[in-house]
Amino acid sequence: MAVIEVHDLTKRFGALTAVDHLSFAVDAGTVVGFLGPNGAGKTTTLRMLLGLVEPTEGSATICGRPYQELPDPLHRVGAVLEASSAYPGRTARNHLRIQALAGQVPSTRVDEVLDLVGLTSAARRRVGEFSLGMRQRLGLATALLCDPEILILDEPANGLDPEGVRWLRDLLHGLAGEGRTVLVSSHILAEVAQTVDSVVILNSGHLVAQSTLDELTTRAQHKVRIRTPMAERLQSALAAKGATAVLVAPDRVEVSGASAEQVGLLAAEQAIPIFETTTDGVGLEEVFFQLTAAATAKETPR
Amino acid sequence: MIRLARIEWLKLRTVRTGFSLLATSAALTALFASLEASRAGNGKYGVAPLFSASGLATVTTVTGWSMIFAAVLGVIVASGEFRHYTATLTYLATPDRRRVLVAKALAVAGAGVIFGLVSALIATGVGLIFVAGHGYHVALGTGTLVAHIAGAAVGAALFGAIGVGIGSLLRSQLAGVIGIFVWALVIESIIGGLFTSVRPYLPYTAATTLAGIKLGGAAFGPAHGLSGGSPLPFAAAAALVLGVAALLDVITVRTTLRKDVT
Repeated sequence: MAVIEVHDLTKRFGALTAVDHLSFAVDAGTVVGFLGPNGAGKTTTLRMLLGLVEPTEGSATICGRPYQELPDPLHRVGAVLEASSAYPGRTARNHLRIQALAGQVPSTRVDEVLDLVGLTSAARRRVGEFSLGMRQRLGLATALLCDPEILILDEPANGLDPEGVRWLRDLLHGLAGEGRTVLVSSHILAEVAQTVDSVVILNSGHLVAQSTLDELTTRAQHKVRIRTPMAERLQSALAAKGATAVLVAPDRVEVSGASAEQVGLLAAEQAIPIFETTTDGVGLEEVFFQLTAAATAKETPR
Repeated sequence: MIRLARIEWLKLRTVRTGFSLLATSAALTALFASLEASRAGNGKYGVAPLFSASGLATVTTVTGWSMIFAAVLGVIVASGEFRHYTATLTYLATPDRRRVLVAKALAVAGAGVIFGLVSALIATGVGLIFVAGHGYHVALGTGTLVAHIAGAAVGAALFGAIGVGIGSLLRSQLAGVIGIFVWALVIESIIGGLFTSVRPYLPYTAATTLAGIKLGGAAFGPAHGLSGGSPLPFAAAAALVLGVAALLDVITVRTTLRKDVT
């Protein structure tokens, strides 16, 4: 069941269309990466989803309602939209006390989330003294304060050092393991690739792709090269399965549209010996770049 | 609404800004009350002697600073949400922005009561110390002194709410703070000096009359001490200042409050 639904969402700022007829859905209990280069429209979309920015057209709902109409919104949705949304002269603990009062949770919960994000020792320091990474952790603590079932995180890895990125990955794994729904944006696929179940890829306000990570991984391995003494027979067998197989030498077949595993299984079924398999693949990151670059090229006037 | 006002009050208590403004307001009150007291009875300045009710009241009602600084606090509290991007969290917790605006106005009005009380107690203390120093009889009754102190609290509370309206409307801390000072100390002085019949209806002047400040008493420049016109009755002055705060809030609700929080 979809808990986040974005339908035909559009936002124009004067002549600039930041988000253009965007539609996607996020199912309950899944972790979805919301990806796109800087300026793709990710933050604007998330802000429309959270009722902070008025859509020009379309709708964005959480649990079937606009965010503004959710009862106890902090208990349904936890959000991190920018690392610096805390008053610099206020201590981290007092910042969370205010949010605890807003969410009507006991102040003991403040200490729990400070501990969860590793900020207990800095609780009485002013936020203005915090590094960007510490502010990100405080943002996550704020989002988790009311124990929401849905988390919307905008570039939470920004400013984190490698150790912090690893910590964030573990935290997201933990949150996903608890059955929460997480929509996490990033402009770097690698940051979220190990955590997400599926991705929504955006470029210049348009939806470029929405797929599971497995589908994206399959796209990533775009050529498999096989050396076999029965190349012609393998070529025919692969063609019959819908893959594209080209005979590049008497003992070599180049395959696209099928993974190395699929080719291997087919060869085993047909008793075709395979002497060598190489995957001429591109990484997930490359697929991401290809998808977003293709979308950009399509839009660039010539 | 009570919970929202408590949240805003907790926000005020957990930063230094309010305390710094309170201290500045108190220090300026002490300074100006002392200056007025030291020149009382000197014909050159036109301040009546401290043994008279009007002379003593000139000193004990030097409470205009508390109103100005309460409004400055209101501007900083309201516009600071956008300056420090905390509006995002505020509106995520309470998506109804009108309720947030009213809660802020209530919290700053509460702080304004403290600003007014502290300022009025200091001014009254300075006046009484000077009176005692000269060995004069206290010319003002306790009831009048208490009424002036309570009036200062009401005036600063209402002016604090006006500050919240200005800060929410402009969203710019600098423009809001400068605007408050320029309006209260320059524009009202000029308008009040030129058109004495309009003077009682100017919002800062009306707020100061709540605290018993005579017309022109809190003005700077040509309008300072200028007589002419009658101050509004307490209820009318309070209603006028409250009306200005409400009007600013209505304009804010219909304009900037609807803007995207980006």
